[in-house]
Amino acid sequence: MSCSLRLCVVLVLVTVCSTSCGERALVTRLTFSGSALGPEAELVQRQLVRFGERHPGVEVELRVTPDAADQRHQLYVQWLNARAPDPDVLQLDIIWTAEFAGAGWILPLDAFALDVDDFVPAALAASRWRGALYAVPWFIDLGLLYWRTDLLPSPPRTLSELREAARRLQETGRTRFGLVWQGARYEGLTTVFLEHLGAFGGGILDAQGHVIVDEPAAIRALTFMCDALGRDGFVPLSVLTWQEEQTRFAFQNGDAAFMRNWPYASGLMQDRARSPVADRFAVAPFPAEDEGRPTAALGGAQLAVNARSANPALAWALVRFLVAPEQMLERAQLVTQLPSRRSLYDTNALAQALPIPIEQITQLLDAAVPRPVTPVYSELSEILQVRLHRALSGQQTPAAALREAAREIRTLLVRSGLASEEQAP
Amino acid sequence: MSRHVAAIEQEERLLARWLVAPALLFILVGSLVPIAATGWEALHGHDLRLPWLGRPFVGVANFVEAIQDPRFTSALLHTVTFAVVTVPLEIALGLALALIMHTAHRGRALIRLATLLPWAIPTVVAALVWRFMFDAQAGIVTALLRTLDVVGESFDWFVHPLAAWVPIGAADIWKTTPFVAILLLAGLQTIDPALHEAARMDGAGGVRRLVTITLPLLRPALVVAAAFRMLDALRMFDVAYVVTGGGPGTATEPLSLYAFIVLMQRLRFGYGSALSVTVFLLTFAFALMWVRALGRSLVGDRT
Repeated sequence: MSCSLRLCVVLVLVTVCSTSCGERALVTRLTFSGSALGPEAELVQRQLVRFGERHPGVEVELRVTPDAADQRHQLYVQWLNARAPDPDVLQLDIIWTAEFAGAGWILPLDAFALDVDDFVPAALAASRWRGALYAVPWFIDLGLLYWRTDLLPSPPRTLSELREAARRLQETGRTRFGLVWQGARYEGLTTVFLEHLGAFGGGILDAQGHVIVDEPAAIRALTFMCDALGRDGFVPLSVLTWQEEQTRFAFQNGDAAFMRNWPYASGLMQDRARSPVADRFAVAPFPAEDEGRPTAALGGAQLAVNARSANPALAWALVRFLVAPEQMLERAQLVTQLPSRRSLYDTNALAQALPIPIEQITQLLDAAVPRPVTPVYSELSEILQVRLHRALSGQQTPAAALREAAREIRTLLVRSGLASEEQAP
Repeated sequence: MSRHVAAIEQEERLLARWLVAPALLFILVGSLVPIAATGWEALHGHDLRLPWLGRPFVGVANFVEAIQDPRFTSALLHTVTFAVVTVPLEIALGLALALIMHTAHRGRALIRLATLLPWAIPTVVAALVWRFMFDAQAGIVTALLRTLDVVGESFDWFVHPLAAWVPIGAADIWKTTPFVAILLLAGLQTIDPALHEAARMDGAGGVRRLVTITLPLLRPALVVAAAFRMLDALRMFDVAYVVTGGGPGTATEPLSLYAFIVLMQRLRFGYGSALSVTVFLLTFAFALMWVRALGRSLVGDRT
């Protein structure tokens, strides 16, 4: 009796074990983590299922992470610091790649074959660290100048032209504000500054990684921004508390002649039911002065493979699949995110998918400039945001603010072991 | 017989130790160990983003960096100034509310409810509401002042380094005055009404009775309320985080917010821990001083 019971238990155990072990051998699990909000979540889920259909025996799990970039970043850092083998594939904000590469958290991808030449060069530059490729650009975002076609015959070609046009329209009472941009103390302010910097021929770091944000061109750029708020008065002071959406509301309500924003605003402002400026605006590159060049701050996301993934080859297959032209086009169609592959901009399919005329976008691809590619980017940007905000709110002169910012960034680079002592202040 | 009593005392002492043990263990695990761990972390160079630097022991280098960090010193100044300005206002307003609640006979329940309501609202929600009220575009406060020509067309509270403190202070005072009022009301209710009766018979007016009877007898409650509020104000984080985010620039950044940014955004655990330890030491030093200077009077009455 007891003997047969024992036999039963053993049999049950053996069956349980063999089925579960057998399943494990049959199904390989991959985890993908990224932002997934509303329609984007459906899109990602659909593409992951499609990948599974093409790779029998592979199941991809979508691990949803917080939509706020800061929180997602913090979560990633905790996971990867703890040497977790999952998620296998990570969606990275374009400014994180160097940090994750420098920390050794993501795999160098040069061993895998990829048609790198097809990708937007600025996006590719942001996915490299110390010469090696660590991520693949997934979609891109570009800073644009929105302008009102019912107020002006053509977009301004220089920043001085923009200033004059904005002031004229304000003085004649045709708009309340001239230009609006994102001036709150957050990442958006750095991108706005980057575009002004480019317009005056300045930069934050040079090609060798030296800090150049305290040079005369940068001071001229920040002075232009300060004057726009103060003396010239064509940018409202309140932009110092505004992020993307507040600027969009102002422009969409017809309060501003110009707006600096990302492409997402375009789709929303074409909605005739909600937007008084539908059909009355167009986009152009953010204009430059003669000594600079039109600059579009580059945003967007990249895909990388966890350095501790149990299946790096399969993870790479997923990355390749997600950055294939077919998936990028679908993304452009459904959630209006710009492809990172240049060749797609010559296709009719993309032209039809986007709410912005494609020739307006292609001229922007050449103006795209990545933010400084360095593992300490977030802290560098935070230093800049504080100093810029102080100058813009009149607490410091542009020259003093940038001198302090440069000094702090140099100290940061030295402390992080990314620059030698002699470059320090 | 005395030996018997001694044995019982011995036994009770042992029992007392066992009864206290869980509480002590809880304090040890819940407070002392984390504080010690933070203190230990503060002596290391540890940056989660720069794993190639490792986690070397650096002694007091983080504290030295803090002293040389102008953002730290200004945050320290902001914190202390904020506490010194808002707490007396909260005590004064709280006292007034407590006196009203204590003396009101008609509509007593309604008055108490109205007074205590702000305390029941989560701080973050209250702070958000205050931020909206001071908003430059749609805020009721700004709109009102603009109509009265007190402020100009383009005035924005959150862009001005000093004006940005007004919404923070308003939110904090509005939110915490009821707490002070409750504590003081409890204190008022312990005062024997006969004292007031006698004073009135002797011809003492309302002000005289307030100064010579109510305030001296309310002193223990006032000391406790001020201590609670000071400790809270010195750790102030949420209101500044929600209302201004520390801006413009870092003009309204308190110490706790800076420590949070260093820890959770920059992920510099070593330096961030050093800043947290500083906040802890600051509040601890205040509490010690406060108890030494004023707490004695609480116990003094008994001896």
